[in-house]
Amino acid sequence: MAVDLAVPSFDPECHLGSGCGFPAPGADIFFFDPVWTFTILGIEFNITKQIILLVLVGAAVVGFFWYAFRRPALVPRGAQNVGEMGYLFIRDGIARDTIGKAGDRFVPLLFTAFFLVWPLNFLGILPFAQIPVTATFAIPVAFALVIYFTWVPLGIKRQGVGGFFKAMTMPPDVPKAMYVLLIPIEFVSNFLVRPFTHCVRLFANMFAGHLLIATFSVGAFYLLSASVLGIIGSTASFVVAVGMTAFEVLIQFLQAYVFTMLAAVYLNDAVHGH
Amino acid sequence: MSYLFAAAEESEGPNVLAVPLDELIIGILAFLIVFGLLAKVALPSIKKTLAERTDKIEGGLARAEQAQAEAQQVLAEYREKLAAAHLEAADIRTAAQAERVAIVDSARGEAQQAAVGVAERAQAQIAAETSQAKSALSREVGQLSFELAGKIVGESLADDARAKAVVDRFIAELEAAPAAAEGRA
Amino acid sequence: MSDLAWSMSSKVLAGILIYGGLGWVLDRWLGFDAIFLPVGVILGAAIALYLVFVRLDRSSSPEGRNR
Repeated sequence: MAVDLAVPSFDPECHLGSGCGFPAPGADIFFFDPVWTFTILGIEFNITKQIILLVLVGAAVVGFFWYAFRRPALVPRGAQNVGEMGYLFIRDGIARDTIGKAGDRFVPLLFTAFFLVWPLNFLGILPFAQIPVTATFAIPVAFALVIYFTWVPLGIKRQGVGGFFKAMTMPPDVPKAMYVLLIPIEFVSNFLVRPFTHCVRLFANMFAGHLLIATFSVGAFYLLSASVLGIIGSTASFVVAVGMTAFEVLIQFLQAYVFTMLAAVYLNDAVHGH
Repeated sequence: MSYLFAAAEESEGPNVLAVPLDELIIGILAFLIVFGLLAKVALPSIKKTLAERTDKIEGGLARAEQAQAEAQQVLAEYREKLAAAHLEAADIRTAAQAERVAIVDSARGEAQQAAVGVAERAQAQIAAETSQAKSALSREVGQLSFELAGKIVGESLADDARAKAVVDRFIAELEAAPAAAEGRA
Repeated sequence: MSDLAWSMSSKVLAGILIYGGLGWVLDRWLGFDAIFLPVGVILGAAIALYLVFVRLDRSSSPEGRNR
């Protein structure tokens, strides 16, 4: 277990001048050996650190909001106050702002998206967790698929198959001949590229951010040696790592917001047309 | 591991863009379970509370507005009634004044009429008494003077015609005397 | 408006993919190395930008969209 959760290829003896090259962290820092493997319906399930963290975050999020909203008072106090801020942020700042009054229906979905993605992002800088679960590509893909298979059927249900695809692929006030060129772009952009960018944007940001912090942290450790250059370099690298971590807090929130915002934009297309 | 789409290239290290089916399934399930629990357990109560709060605030505003409108209406009604009362009072006052004037006028008229009547009657009576007294006096004076003359003359004035003439002349003189006195005065 | 900013990149990406891909297929078919591929990429980006402008024009007009 202890070995499973540690950063792979980490050698505590490796420092500048000890005859070992800079162990630049690579993609392998995102992969952990499974702590438990089982098979259901022929699918092998590998319970890795990320999966455990995902389950813990899910339970914590449900637990917190259940606790905060268990007996809501008209005059909020304590946890309810905090929970309400989150709820109103999603309802007024995202749902109503993007979809309008019809957005109230989608608050639970958007709420779930934001309050899963944000803590999962945050795990990247949480001591002991130290891995953003959203930097595991399958997780953003899974979330983006849930959103995709919500808004596309919803759009067909609300506007009919013809109406929905017309709204999504045929911009009005365009010369008829242009449709030949435009419809393929609109179709690929709205139905194929969209879910892809939706999850890649989140994944790439979290992946790159974590890799950067890891590089500077490892650099600070590697440069730590009994020399002027080593101490200055190590300190500088450490400072940069701390600064990157602070910046990462902002990115984590922003990417969770962007992911939820995009989900709201897609839902708005389904409700009101593109 | 079963992949949704195979790794593009198997160089050094694992492929970060690989999507293992087990992680994908767990990810989708985790999202749906969290969504289900939040949507069914945690969020409905806060949605209701927020709606109640909005309702209370908006309801309070509406109630305040209603109360103000009612107060305004009551004030307007009161003012209207006050104005009507003022108008009525003025009417009553004007009517009373007119009535008073009429009463005073009629009373004055009646009193004047009565006074005129009294004065007329008194004058008539005075005139009648005066003429009565005059005639009685002239008769008496005639008789007295006749007797006096008889006594002076010493004979009865048998000759009526003569006597009558004397008396008449005497009375005429008598009547002339006060008239002259009056004219002198 | 905000959704348009978000969809711009995906539209340009889609345009480049489709018309660049079409150019690539033409190159393979006609035996060229890379003639229609760059033409397709540029054409695709141009058409996608036109599309963005068309969408932008509509969403920023006063009667705009229904929300």
